[in-house]
Amino acid sequence: MWGQLPYIAELEKAGIPTVLIDLADQEEMVKQEALVNGMPNVRFIHASRTLAGPIDVDRLIGPTIDGLLRPLTDKEKETGLYNPGQPRVIFEGTLEEADVFFSQTRHVPKPLDAPISIYTDGLPVRLPTEERVKEMLKGTSHRPDEMVTYQSDRHIMFGEEVKKGDLVRFQPLKWTATVEKVATIAVMAGCKPEHLPVVLAVAESGVPTGTTVYANLWSVVSGPIVKEIGMNAGLGMLGPGNPANSAIGRAYQLMAVNLGGAIPGINRMSSIGSPVNRAGLCFAEDADGLPPGWKGLNEEHGYRKDENAVMVLWTEGGMDGAQFSPGGYRALQKSGHGGIARRLGVKGKPGPHNFLDFILPGIWAGGREGPRTFIIVHEMAQHLYEMGFKTKDAVYEYIWKKGLEPLSEYRKRSWVDLTTNGWLGIDRQSGKPWKELPDDHMVSVAGDAPNENCIIVCGSDEEVCVQMTGGPRGGILGLHPIYSIDAWR
Amino acid sequence: MTEKDRTYRFLNPVGIQLPVKTFPLAPRLDKLDGKEIWFSITGEPDITIPFEKRLKNDYPNVNWRIKKTYGPVQVPLSDEEMKTADAVIQGVCW
Repeated sequence: MWGQLPYIAELEKAGIPTVLIDLADQEEMVKQEALVNGMPNVRFIHASRTLAGPIDVDRLIGPTIDGLLRPLTDKEKETGLYNPGQPRVIFEGTLEEADVFFSQTRHVPKPLDAPISIYTDGLPVRLPTEERVKEMLKGTSHRPDEMVTYQSDRHIMFGEEVKKGDLVRFQPLKWTATVEKVATIAVMAGCKPEHLPVVLAVAESGVPTGTTVYANLWSVVSGPIVKEIGMNAGLGMLGPGNPANSAIGRAYQLMAVNLGGAIPGINRMSSIGSPVNRAGLCFAEDADGLPPGWKGLNEEHGYRKDENAVMVLWTEGGMDGAQFSPGGYRALQKSGHGGIARRLGVKGKPGPHNFLDFILPGIWAGGREGPRTFIIVHEMAQHLYEMGFKTKDAVYEYIWKKGLEPLSEYRKRSWVDLTTNGWLGIDRQSGKPWKELPDDHMVSVAGDAPNENCIIVCGSDEEVCVQMTGGPRGGILGLHPIYSIDAWR
Repeated sequence: MTEKDRTYRFLNPVGIQLPVKTFPLAPRLDKLDGKEIWFSITGEPDITIPFEKRLKNDYPNVNWRIKKTYGPVQVPLSDEEMKTADAVIQGVCW
Protein backbone atom coordinates (compact mmCIF):
# COMPACT_ATOMS: atom_id res chain seq x y z
CA MET A 1 0.00 0.00 0.00
CA TRP A 2 1.52 3.29 -1.05
CA GLY A 3 -0.86 6.10 -0.19
CA GLN A 4 -3.90 4.47 -1.76
CA LEU A 5 -6.02 4.78 1.39
CA PRO A 6 -5.60 8.54 1.83
CA TYR A 7 -6.53 8.88 -1.85
CA ILE A 8 -9.56 6.65 -1.51
CA ALA A 9 -10.60 8.62 1.58
CA GLU A 10 -10.40 11.81 -0.45
CA LEU A 11 -12.61 10.30 -3.16
CA GLU A 12 -15.20 8.92 -0.75
CA LYS A 13 -15.39 12.24 1.08
CA ALA A 14 -16.00 13.92 -2.27
CA GLY A 15 -18.98 11.61 -2.83
CA ILE A 16 -17.25 9.30 -5.31
CA PRO A 17 -17.83 5.64 -4.40
CA THR A 18 -14.80 3.39 -4.59
CA VAL A 19 -13.79 -0.23 -4.49
CA LEU A 20 -10.25 -1.23 -3.60
CA ILE A 21 -8.64 -4.36 -5.05
CA ASP A 22 -5.52 -5.65 -3.36
CA LEU A 23 -3.88 -8.96 -2.61
CA ALA A 24 -5.67 -11.08 -0.03
CA ASP A 25 -2.79 -11.12 2.44
CA GLN A 26 -2.92 -7.33 2.68
CA GLU A 27 -6.31 -7.51 4.44
CA GLU A 28 -5.12 -6.47 7.90
CA MET A 29 -2.98 -3.67 6.54
CA VAL A 30 -5.90 -2.35 4.52
CA LYS A 31 -8.14 -2.44 7.59
CA GLN A 32 -5.59 -0.56 9.70
CA GLU A 33 -4.83 2.05 7.08
CA ALA A 34 -8.51 2.51 6.29
CA LEU A 35 -9.24 3.14 9.96
CA VAL A 36 -6.51 5.72 10.43
CA ASN A 37 -7.75 7.44 7.29
CA GLY A 38 -11.25 7.70 8.70
CA MET A 39 -13.11 5.02 6.74
CA PRO A 40 -13.07 1.79 8.69
CA ASN A 41 -15.55 0.19 6.28
CA VAL A 42 -13.77 0.65 2.99
CA ARG A 43 -14.94 -1.86 0.38
CA PHE A 44 -12.04 -4.17 -0.34
CA ILE A 45 -11.81 -7.06 -2.79
CA HIS A 46 -9.09 -9.70 -2.55
CA ALA A 47 -6.92 -10.47 -5.56
CA SER A 48 -4.89 -13.63 -5.76
CA ARG A 49 -1.12 -13.95 -5.78
CA THR A 50 -1.22 -17.21 -7.69
CA LEU A 51 -4.18 -17.37 -10.10
CA ALA A 52 -3.49 -16.32 -13.67
CA GLY A 53 -4.84 -12.86 -14.38
CA PRO A 54 -7.84 -13.78 -16.59
CA ILE A 55 -8.96 -16.50 -14.15
CA ASP A 56 -8.60 -14.15 -11.20
CA VAL A 57 -10.59 -11.50 -13.04
CA ASP A 58 -13.46 -14.01 -13.55
CA ARG A 59 -13.56 -14.24 -9.78
CA LEU A 60 -13.10 -10.53 -9.03
CA ILE A 61 -15.35 -8.79 -11.48
CA GLY A 62 -18.69 -9.64 -9.86
CA PRO A 63 -17.75 -8.53 -6.34
CA THR A 64 -16.12 -5.38 -7.74
CA ILE A 65 -19.25 -4.26 -9.55
CA ASP A 66 -21.32 -5.27 -6.53
CA GLY A 67 -19.11 -3.01 -4.40
CA LEU A 68 -20.12 -0.06 -6.53
CA LEU A 69 -23.84 -0.87 -6.63
CA ARG A 70 -24.78 -2.49 -3.29
CA PRO A 71 -26.44 0.15 -1.06
CA LEU A 72 -24.58 1.16 2.08
CA THR A 73 -25.31 -0.63 5.32
CA ASP A 74 -26.06 1.35 8.47
CA LYS A 75 -22.52 0.65 9.64
CA GLU A 76 -21.05 2.05 6.46
CA LYS A 77 -23.05 5.24 7.01
CA GLU A 78 -21.70 5.84 10.51
CA THR A 79 -19.62 8.81 11.56
CA GLY A 80 -17.48 8.95 14.66
CA LEU A 81 -14.12 9.68 16.19
CA TYR A 82 -11.23 7.24 16.35
CA ASN A 83 -9.15 8.40 19.25
CA PRO A 84 -7.40 5.57 21.07
CA GLY A 85 -6.13 6.55 24.50
CA GLN A 86 -2.47 7.21 25.03
CA PRO A 87 -1.46 7.01 28.68
CA ARG A 88 2.06 8.30 29.37
CA VAL A 89 2.61 5.43 31.79
CA ILE A 90 1.84 2.08 30.21
CA PHE A 91 2.44 -0.16 33.24
CA GLU A 92 3.06 0.04 36.97
CA GLY A 93 4.55 -2.84 38.89
CA THR A 94 7.72 -4.62 39.88
CA LEU A 95 10.59 -5.20 37.49
CA GLU A 96 9.65 -8.84 37.29
CA GLU A 97 6.04 -8.01 36.43
CA ALA A 98 7.19 -5.47 33.87
CA ASP A 99 9.40 -8.07 32.25
CA VAL A 100 6.28 -10.14 31.68
CA PHE A 101 4.32 -7.12 30.43
CA PHE A 102 6.91 -6.02 27.89
CA SER A 103 7.43 -9.61 26.72
CA GLN A 104 3.81 -10.03 25.63
CA THR A 105 3.14 -11.49 22.21
CA ARG A 106 0.16 -11.67 19.91
CA HIS A 107 -0.56 -14.52 17.53
CA VAL A 108 -0.39 -13.30 13.95
CA PRO A 109 -2.41 -15.51 11.62
CA LYS A 110 -1.30 -16.87 8.26
CA PRO A 111 0.69 -16.11 6.20
CA LEU A 112 2.79 -15.83 9.37
CA ASP A 113 1.03 -18.08 11.93
CA ALA A 114 3.30 -17.57 14.97
CA PRO A 115 3.58 -15.33 18.04
CA ILE A 116 5.02 -11.85 17.45
CA SER A 117 6.15 -9.51 20.22
CA ILE A 118 3.93 -6.52 20.87
CA TYR A 119 6.54 -4.10 22.21
CA THR A 120 9.89 -5.60 21.30
CA ASP A 121 11.90 -7.13 18.50
CA GLY A 122 11.40 -10.53 20.07
CA LEU A 123 14.07 -10.24 22.75
CA PRO A 124 13.77 -8.86 26.28
CA VAL A 125 14.40 -5.14 26.62
CA ARG A 126 15.90 -2.88 29.24
CA LEU A 127 12.78 -1.82 31.09
CA PRO A 128 11.84 1.85 30.56
CA THR A 129 11.27 3.08 34.09
CA GLU A 130 10.42 6.74 34.48
CA GLU A 131 13.80 7.29 36.15
CA ARG A 132 15.77 5.65 33.36
CA VAL A 133 13.94 7.67 30.71
CA LYS A 134 14.60 10.87 32.65
CA GLU A 135 18.28 10.00 32.70
CA MET A 136 18.22 9.21 28.98
CA LEU A 137 16.71 12.63 28.25
CA LYS A 138 19.89 14.26 29.56
CA GLY A 139 21.34 13.31 26.17
CA THR A 140 19.37 16.03 24.37
CA SER A 141 18.39 19.65 24.94
CA HIS A 142 14.99 19.00 23.38
CA ARG A 143 12.01 18.98 25.75
CA PRO A 144 10.46 15.62 26.60
CA ASP A 145 7.03 16.74 25.38
CA GLU A 146 8.33 18.16 22.12
CA MET A 147 6.94 16.36 19.10
CA VAL A 148 9.47 14.75 16.77
CA THR A 149 9.55 16.98 13.70
CA TYR A 150 11.70 17.36 10.63
CA GLN A 151 14.73 19.50 11.37
CA SER A 152 15.14 20.62 7.76
CA ASP A 153 13.14 20.86 4.54
CA ARG A 154 13.51 17.62 2.62
CA HIS A 155 11.95 15.04 0.35
CA ILE A 156 10.67 11.83 1.84
CA MET A 157 8.99 8.80 0.28
CA PHE A 158 8.30 9.10 -3.46
CA GLY A 159 9.49 12.67 -3.53
CA GLU A 160 6.91 13.97 -1.04
CA GLU A 161 8.06 17.35 0.24
CA VAL A 162 8.13 18.10 3.94
CA LYS A 163 9.12 21.31 5.69
CA LYS A 164 11.18 21.93 8.77
CA GLY A 165 8.82 21.66 11.72
CA ASP A 166 6.40 19.23 10.07
CA LEU A 167 5.49 16.26 12.22
CA VAL A 168 7.37 13.06 11.45
CA ARG A 169 4.81 10.33 10.71
CA PHE A 170 6.22 6.95 11.58
CA GLN A 171 5.70 4.10 9.15
CA PRO A 172 3.52 2.22 8.48
CA LEU A 173 0.64 3.59 10.60
CA LYS A 174 1.73 7.22 10.42
CA TRP A 175 1.77 7.62 14.17
CA THR A 176 3.62 10.51 15.77
CA ALA A 177 5.94 10.67 18.77
CA THR A 178 7.36 12.92 21.44
CA VAL A 179 11.04 13.16 22.27
CA GLU A 180 10.21 11.30 25.48
CA LYS A 181 8.85 8.34 23.53
CA VAL A 182 12.05 8.11 21.51
CA ALA A 183 14.02 8.29 24.77
CA THR A 184 11.81 5.53 26.18
CA ILE A 185 12.69 3.34 23.22
CA ALA A 186 16.36 4.27 23.51
CA VAL A 187 16.25 2.90 27.06
CA MET A 188 14.58 -0.28 25.83
CA ALA A 189 17.28 -0.71 23.17
CA GLY A 190 20.07 -0.38 25.71
CA CYS A 191 21.27 3.07 24.63
CA LYS A 192 23.16 5.52 26.79
CA PRO A 193 22.18 9.21 26.98
CA GLU A 194 24.99 10.20 24.62
CA HIS A 195 23.44 7.96 21.94
CA LEU A 196 20.09 9.76 22.09
CA PRO A 197 20.83 12.49 19.49
CA VAL A 198 21.70 9.75 17.00
CA VAL A 199 18.52 7.85 17.81
CA LEU A 200 16.46 11.03 17.45
CA ALA A 201 18.09 11.71 14.08
CA VAL A 202 17.24 8.16 13.01
CA ALA A 203 13.68 8.76 14.26
CA GLU A 204 13.47 11.72 11.88
CA SER A 205 13.58 9.19 9.03
CA GLY A 206 10.17 7.87 10.13
CA VAL A 207 11.79 4.41 10.34
CA PRO A 208 10.29 2.85 7.20
CA THR A 209 9.98 -0.92 7.20
CA GLY A 210 10.11 -1.74 3.50
CA THR A 211 7.71 -3.53 1.23
CA THR A 212 6.82 -7.12 0.47
CA VAL A 213 10.26 -7.85 -0.93
CA TYR A 214 13.74 -7.98 0.63
CA ALA A 215 14.34 -4.73 2.46
CA ASN A 216 17.42 -4.04 4.56
CA LEU A 217 17.01 -1.16 6.98
CA TRP A 218 20.23 0.18 8.39
CA SER A 219 22.08 3.32 9.32
CA VAL A 220 25.62 4.62 9.31
CA VAL A 221 26.97 7.49 11.39
CA SER A 222 29.45 10.05 10.03
CA GLY A 223 31.33 12.74 11.92
CA PRO A 224 33.29 13.30 15.11
CA ILE A 225 30.48 11.86 17.24
CA VAL A 226 31.61 8.41 16.11
CA LYS A 227 34.60 8.65 18.45
CA GLU A 228 32.79 10.70 21.09
CA ILE A 229 30.26 7.97 21.79
CA GLY A 230 32.57 5.05 21.13
CA MET A 231 31.06 3.64 17.95
CA ASN A 232 32.90 0.93 16.09
CA ALA A 233 34.09 1.99 12.63
CA GLY A 234 36.84 -0.61 12.62
CA LEU A 235 37.04 -4.38 12.56
CA GLY A 236 33.69 -6.12 12.58
CA MET A 237 31.66 -2.91 12.61
CA LEU A 238 28.74 -4.71 10.91
CA GLY A 239 28.84 -7.45 13.53
CA PRO A 240 28.19 -7.75 17.26
CA GLY A 241 30.02 -6.44 20.29
CA ASN A 242 29.98 -2.66 20.27
CA PRO A 243 27.36 -1.22 22.66
CA ALA A 244 26.72 1.97 20.66
CA ASN A 245 26.42 0.28 17.24
CA SER A 246 24.21 -2.45 18.64
CA ALA A 247 21.93 -0.27 20.75
CA ILE A 248 21.38 2.41 18.10
CA GLY A 249 20.71 -0.25 15.48
CA ARG A 250 18.26 -1.94 17.77
CA ALA A 251 16.53 1.35 18.51
CA TYR A 252 15.56 1.61 14.82
CA GLN A 253 13.69 -1.67 14.98
CA LEU A 254 12.06 -0.90 18.32
CA MET A 255 10.90 2.44 16.92
CA ALA A 256 9.43 0.64 13.91
CA VAL A 257 7.52 -1.68 16.25
CA ASN A 258 6.33 0.95 18.71
CA LEU A 259 6.23 4.28 16.92
CA GLY A 260 5.26 2.95 13.53
CA GLY A 261 3.04 0.10 14.65
CA ALA A 262 4.88 -2.27 12.33
CA ILE A 263 3.78 -5.86 12.78
CA PRO A 264 5.16 -8.68 10.63
CA GLY A 265 2.33 -10.42 8.83
CA ILE A 266 -0.06 -7.51 9.37
CA ASN A 267 1.50 -4.42 7.88
CA ARG A 268 5.14 -5.38 7.55
CA MET A 269 4.99 -7.83 4.74
CA SER A 270 8.56 -8.60 3.71
CA SER A 271 8.05 -12.13 2.47
CA ILE A 272 11.13 -13.75 4.01
CA GLY A 273 12.32 -10.84 6.12
CA SER A 274 15.93 -9.79 6.41
CA PRO A 275 18.51 -10.71 9.03
CA VAL A 276 19.65 -7.08 8.93
CA ASN A 277 16.35 -6.12 10.52
CA ARG A 278 16.19 -8.78 13.21
CA ALA A 279 18.20 -6.84 15.78
CA GLY A 280 18.90 -3.74 13.73
CA LEU A 281 22.09 -2.57 12.09
CA CYS A 282 23.99 0.63 12.72
CA PHE A 283 27.69 1.22 12.21
CA ALA A 284 30.07 4.09 11.71
CA GLU A 285 32.25 5.56 8.99
CA ASP A 286 36.01 5.56 9.54
CA ALA A 287 36.82 9.14 8.63
CA ASP A 288 40.52 8.55 9.38
CA GLY A 289 40.57 5.79 6.77
CA LEU A 290 39.54 8.05 3.89
CA PRO A 291 42.27 8.71 1.31
CA PRO A 292 43.33 12.35 0.88
CA GLY A 293 40.61 14.40 -0.79
CA TRP A 294 37.88 11.81 -0.36
CA LYS A 295 34.84 13.21 1.41
CA GLY A 296 33.12 11.54 4.30
CA LEU A 297 29.38 10.87 4.10
CA ASN A 298 28.68 14.07 6.03
CA GLU A 299 30.54 16.25 3.53
CA GLU A 300 29.15 14.36 0.54
CA HIS A 301 25.66 15.25 1.69
CA GLY A 302 26.04 18.90 2.52
CA TYR A 303 27.37 18.88 6.05
CA ARG A 304 30.77 20.03 7.23
CA LYS A 305 33.50 17.62 8.22
CA ASP A 306 33.03 18.58 11.85
CA GLU A 307 29.26 18.08 11.70
CA ASN A 308 27.53 14.85 12.56
CA ALA A 309 24.99 13.10 10.41
CA VAL A 310 23.37 9.70 10.11
CA MET A 311 22.41 8.11 6.84
CA VAL A 312 19.34 5.91 7.17
CA LEU A 313 19.17 3.46 4.32
CA TRP A 314 16.39 1.34 2.96
CA THR A 315 18.14 -0.92 0.47
CA GLU A 316 15.96 -3.43 -1.33
CA GLY A 317 17.54 -6.37 -3.05
CA GLY A 318 20.05 -7.79 -0.68
CA MET A 319 23.71 -7.66 0.12
CA ASP A 320 26.68 -9.36 -1.41
CA GLY A 321 30.22 -9.73 -0.17
CA ALA A 322 33.32 -9.78 -2.33
CA GLN A 323 34.99 -12.24 0.01
CA PHE A 324 38.44 -12.45 -1.54
CA SER A 325 40.32 -15.60 -0.55
CA PRO A 326 42.70 -15.14 2.37
CA GLY A 327 45.62 -13.33 0.87
CA GLY A 328 44.04 -13.30 -2.56
CA TYR A 329 43.55 -9.56 -2.67
CA ARG A 330 47.04 -8.95 -1.29
CA ALA A 331 48.54 -11.30 -3.87
CA LEU A 332 46.92 -9.17 -6.55
CA GLN A 333 48.14 -5.87 -5.20
CA LYS A 334 51.60 -6.86 -3.96
CA SER A 335 52.85 -8.94 -6.85
CA GLY A 336 50.09 -9.57 -9.38
CA HIS A 337 49.60 -13.20 -8.44
CA GLY A 338 46.50 -15.34 -8.10
CA GLY A 339 43.12 -15.66 -9.73
CA ILE A 340 42.19 -12.01 -9.56
CA ALA A 341 45.39 -11.04 -11.33
CA ARG A 342 44.70 -13.66 -14.00
CA ARG A 343 41.18 -12.27 -14.49
CA LEU A 344 42.50 -8.73 -14.75
CA GLY A 345 45.38 -9.66 -17.03
CA VAL A 346 48.01 -8.23 -14.71
CA LYS A 347 49.81 -11.44 -13.79
CA GLY A 348 53.26 -10.73 -12.40
CA LYS A 349 52.72 -6.96 -12.29
CA PRO A 350 52.77 -5.32 -8.84
CA GLY A 351 49.79 -3.11 -7.97
CA PRO A 352 47.97 -0.98 -7.43
CA HIS A 353 45.30 -2.66 -9.50
CA ASN A 354 41.64 -1.73 -9.74
CA PHE A 355 39.73 -4.37 -7.79
CA LEU A 356 36.46 -2.91 -9.07
CA ASP A 357 37.28 -4.49 -12.42
CA PHE A 358 37.09 -7.85 -10.68
CA ILE A 359 33.61 -7.37 -9.26
CA LEU A 360 32.04 -5.19 -11.96
CA PRO A 361 29.82 -5.65 -13.86
CA GLY A 362 29.23 -9.07 -12.28
CA ILE A 363 27.42 -7.65 -9.26
CA TRP A 364 24.50 -6.77 -11.51
CA ALA A 365 24.39 -10.19 -13.19
CA GLY A 366 22.47 -12.16 -10.62
CA GLY A 367 20.84 -9.48 -8.50
CA ARG A 368 18.69 -6.60 -9.45
CA GLU A 369 19.88 -3.58 -11.32
CA GLY A 370 20.42 -0.24 -9.64
CA PRO A 371 23.05 1.63 -7.68
CA ARG A 372 25.13 -0.03 -4.99
CA THR A 373 26.54 1.01 -1.65
CA PHE A 374 30.09 -0.33 -1.39
CA ILE A 375 31.39 -0.83 2.13
CA ILE A 376 35.15 -1.11 1.75
CA VAL A 377 38.17 -1.12 4.03
CA HIS A 378 40.68 1.76 4.07
CA GLU A 379 43.39 -0.17 2.18
CA MET A 380 41.09 -0.80 -0.76
CA ALA A 381 40.07 2.87 -0.82
CA GLN A 382 43.76 3.78 -0.79
CA HIS A 383 44.40 1.50 -3.77
CA LEU A 384 41.67 3.25 -5.73
CA TYR A 385 43.23 6.57 -4.79
CA GLU A 386 46.61 5.37 -6.01
CA MET A 387 44.98 4.21 -9.24
CA GLY A 388 44.06 7.83 -9.89
CA PHE A 389 40.65 8.16 -8.27
CA LYS A 390 41.28 11.35 -6.34
CA THR A 391 37.63 11.74 -5.28
CA LYS A 392 34.73 9.44 -4.53
CA ASP A 393 32.87 11.08 -7.41
CA ALA A 394 35.53 9.79 -9.79
CA VAL A 395 34.89 6.26 -8.50
CA TYR A 396 31.11 6.71 -8.81
CA GLU A 397 31.58 7.77 -12.43
CA TYR A 398 33.71 4.69 -13.08
CA ILE A 399 31.18 2.35 -11.48
CA TRP A 400 28.35 3.94 -13.42
CA LYS A 401 30.15 3.55 -16.74
CA LYS A 402 30.94 -0.07 -15.94
CA GLY A 403 27.19 -0.56 -15.71
CA LEU A 404 26.46 0.53 -19.27
CA GLU A 405 24.69 -2.05 -21.43
CA PRO A 406 22.44 -1.97 -24.52
CA LEU A 407 18.77 -1.29 -23.99
CA SER A 408 18.03 -4.69 -25.55
CA GLU A 409 19.70 -6.29 -22.51
CA TYR A 410 18.42 -3.75 -20.00
CA ARG A 411 14.84 -4.68 -20.93
CA LYS A 412 15.42 -8.17 -19.49
CA ARG A 413 16.16 -6.96 -15.98
CA SER A 414 14.07 -7.32 -12.86
CA TRP A 415 12.69 -3.93 -11.85
CA VAL A 416 12.70 -2.16 -15.18
CA ASP A 417 8.96 -2.40 -15.84
CA LEU A 418 8.44 -0.54 -12.60
CA THR A 419 11.20 2.03 -12.89
CA THR A 420 10.35 2.87 -16.51
CA ASN A 421 6.60 2.99 -15.73
CA GLY A 422 5.99 0.16 -18.15
CA TRP A 423 8.30 1.87 -20.68
CA LEU A 424 5.79 4.71 -20.89
CA GLY A 425 8.11 7.07 -19.02
CA ILE A 426 11.22 9.09 -19.76
CA ASP A 427 14.72 7.65 -19.48
CA ARG A 428 16.22 9.88 -16.82
CA GLN A 429 19.72 9.23 -18.15
CA SER A 430 19.11 10.47 -21.70
CA GLY A 431 16.02 12.58 -21.08
CA LYS A 432 14.22 10.81 -23.94
CA PRO A 433 11.07 8.64 -23.91
CA TRP A 434 11.96 4.98 -23.51
CA LYS A 435 9.85 4.02 -26.51
CA GLU A 436 11.94 6.23 -28.81
CA LEU A 437 15.26 4.68 -27.85
CA PRO A 438 16.88 2.08 -30.14
CA ASP A 439 17.96 -1.35 -28.96
CA ASP A 440 21.62 -0.37 -29.01
CA HIS A 441 21.08 2.69 -26.81
CA MET A 442 23.36 2.33 -23.81
CA VAL A 443 21.80 2.44 -20.35
CA SER A 444 23.67 2.18 -17.06
CA VAL A 445 22.35 -0.42 -14.66
CA ALA A 446 24.15 1.45 -11.86
CA GLY A 447 21.47 4.05 -11.22
CA ASP A 448 20.21 7.10 -13.04
CA ALA A 449 23.29 9.09 -12.07
CA PRO A 450 26.80 8.13 -10.90
CA ASN A 451 26.38 9.61 -7.44
CA GLU A 452 23.41 7.38 -6.67
CA ASN A 453 26.16 4.91 -5.81
CA CYS A 454 27.86 5.21 -2.46
CA ILE A 455 31.17 4.28 -0.85
CA ILE A 456 31.55 3.90 2.88
CA VAL A 457 35.05 3.40 4.24
CA CYS A 458 35.29 1.44 7.47
CA GLY A 459 36.39 -1.95 8.75
CA SER A 460 39.83 -3.34 9.42
CA ASP A 461 42.93 -4.48 7.54
CA GLU A 462 41.63 -7.70 5.97
CA GLU A 463 40.53 -6.77 2.46
CA VAL A 464 36.80 -7.33 2.27
CA CYS A 465 34.12 -5.44 0.40
CA VAL A 466 30.36 -5.64 0.91
CA GLN A 467 27.86 -4.32 -1.60
CA MET A 468 24.37 -3.40 -0.53
CA THR A 469 21.77 -3.05 -3.26
CA GLY A 470 20.69 0.57 -3.40
CA GLY A 471 22.11 3.91 -2.47
CA PRO A 472 21.31 7.14 -0.71
CA ARG A 473 20.10 9.28 -3.56
CA GLY A 474 17.23 9.44 -5.97
CA GLY A 475 15.73 6.27 -7.33
CA ILE A 476 12.03 5.58 -7.42
CA LEU A 477 11.78 6.11 -3.68
CA GLY A 478 13.02 9.67 -4.14
CA LEU A 479 14.89 9.62 -0.87
CA HIS A 480 17.81 11.65 0.41
CA PRO A 481 17.99 10.04 3.80
CA ILE A 482 20.78 11.75 5.70
CA TYR A 483 19.84 13.53 8.91
CA SER A 484 21.65 15.95 11.18
CA ILE A 485 22.58 14.52 14.55
CA ASP A 486 23.66 17.90 15.87
CA ALA A 487 20.10 19.21 15.42
CA TRP A 488 19.09 16.73 18.11
CA ARG A 489 21.85 17.46 20.61
CA MET B 1 9.93 -3.52 51.17
CA THR B 2 12.67 -5.40 49.34
CA GLU B 3 14.09 -4.25 46.02
CA LYS B 4 12.24 -7.14 44.41
CA ASP B 5 8.92 -5.79 45.62
CA ARG B 6 9.56 -2.19 44.67
CA THR B 7 7.15 -0.90 42.05
CA TYR B 8 7.99 1.40 39.19
CA ARG B 9 6.18 3.39 36.53
CA PHE B 10 7.10 2.31 33.03
CA LEU B 11 6.70 4.81 30.22
CA ASN B 12 4.70 4.10 27.11
CA PRO B 13 6.79 3.57 23.97
CA VAL B 14 3.80 3.32 21.62
CA GLY B 15 3.39 6.06 19.00
CA ILE B 16 0.58 8.58 19.13
CA GLN B 17 -2.41 8.10 16.88
CA LEU B 18 -3.75 11.56 16.19
CA PRO B 19 -7.57 11.65 16.50
CA VAL B 20 -9.33 10.76 13.26
CA LYS B 21 -12.90 11.62 12.38
CA THR B 22 -14.50 8.64 10.70
CA PHE B 23 -16.96 9.35 7.94
CA PRO B 24 -19.57 7.45 5.95
CA LEU B 25 -18.75 5.95 2.61
CA ALA B 26 -20.12 7.73 -0.44
CA PRO B 27 -23.55 6.56 -1.62
CA ARG B 28 -23.31 3.75 -4.16
CA LEU B 29 -24.44 3.95 -7.75
CA ASP B 30 -28.07 3.24 -8.65
CA LYS B 31 -27.02 1.80 -12.02
CA LEU B 32 -23.95 1.44 -14.20
CA ASP B 33 -25.20 2.49 -17.60
CA GLY B 34 -24.12 5.96 -18.61
CA LYS B 35 -21.81 6.37 -15.63
CA GLU B 36 -18.23 7.60 -15.82
CA ILE B 37 -16.17 5.05 -13.90
CA TRP B 38 -12.42 5.23 -13.54
CA PHE B 39 -10.26 2.14 -13.34
CA SER B 40 -7.14 3.30 -11.57
CA ILE B 41 -4.29 0.86 -11.84
CA THR B 42 -1.07 0.60 -9.92
CA GLY B 43 1.00 -2.50 -10.25
CA GLU B 44 0.68 -5.88 -11.78
CA PRO B 45 -0.42 -5.98 -15.42
CA ASP B 46 -1.09 -9.69 -15.12
CA ILE B 47 -4.34 -8.84 -13.37
CA THR B 48 -5.07 -5.33 -14.51
CA ILE B 49 -4.84 -5.86 -18.28
CA PRO B 50 -7.52 -8.61 -18.41
CA PHE B 51 -9.56 -6.72 -15.84
CA GLU B 52 -9.70 -3.64 -18.04
CA LYS B 53 -10.71 -5.76 -21.04
CA ARG B 54 -13.47 -7.51 -19.13
CA LEU B 55 -14.90 -4.30 -17.72
CA LYS B 56 -15.13 -2.74 -21.15
CA ASN B 57 -16.50 -5.90 -22.71
CA ASP B 58 -19.04 -6.82 -20.03
CA TYR B 59 -20.25 -3.29 -19.32
CA PRO B 60 -20.13 -1.49 -22.67
CA ASN B 61 -22.58 1.20 -21.61
CA VAL B 62 -20.25 2.51 -18.95
CA ASN B 63 -17.95 5.36 -19.88
CA TRP B 64 -14.76 3.63 -18.72
CA ARG B 65 -11.81 5.88 -18.03
CA ILE B 66 -8.33 4.63 -17.14
CA LYS B 67 -5.52 5.90 -14.95
CA LYS B 68 -2.49 3.69 -15.26
CA THR B 69 0.94 3.46 -13.71
CA TYR B 70 3.32 0.59 -13.24
CA GLY B 71 4.61 2.39 -10.18
CA PRO B 72 3.24 1.91 -6.69
CA VAL B 73 1.56 5.30 -6.30
CA GLN B 74 -1.68 5.90 -8.17
CA VAL B 75 -2.16 8.69 -10.68
CA PRO B 76 -4.88 10.72 -8.99
CA LEU B 77 -7.89 12.23 -10.67
CA SER B 78 -7.51 15.92 -11.34
CA ASP B 79 -9.95 18.37 -9.79
CA GLU B 80 -11.69 18.61 -13.16
CA GLU B 81 -11.92 14.84 -13.51
CA MET B 82 -13.35 14.52 -10.01
CA LYS B 83 -16.22 16.80 -11.00
CA THR B 84 -17.54 14.28 -13.51
CA ALA B 85 -16.33 10.97 -12.00
CA ASP B 86 -19.13 8.71 -10.78
CA ALA B 87 -16.95 5.99 -9.24
CA VAL B 88 -13.40 4.69 -8.98
CA ILE B 89 -12.08 1.14 -8.92
CA GLN B 90 -8.61 1.26 -7.42
CA GLY B 91 -6.62 -1.80 -8.42
CA VAL B 92 -3.52 -1.99 -6.31
CA CYS B 93 -2.34 -5.57 -6.67
CA TRP B 94 1.12 -4.66 -5.54
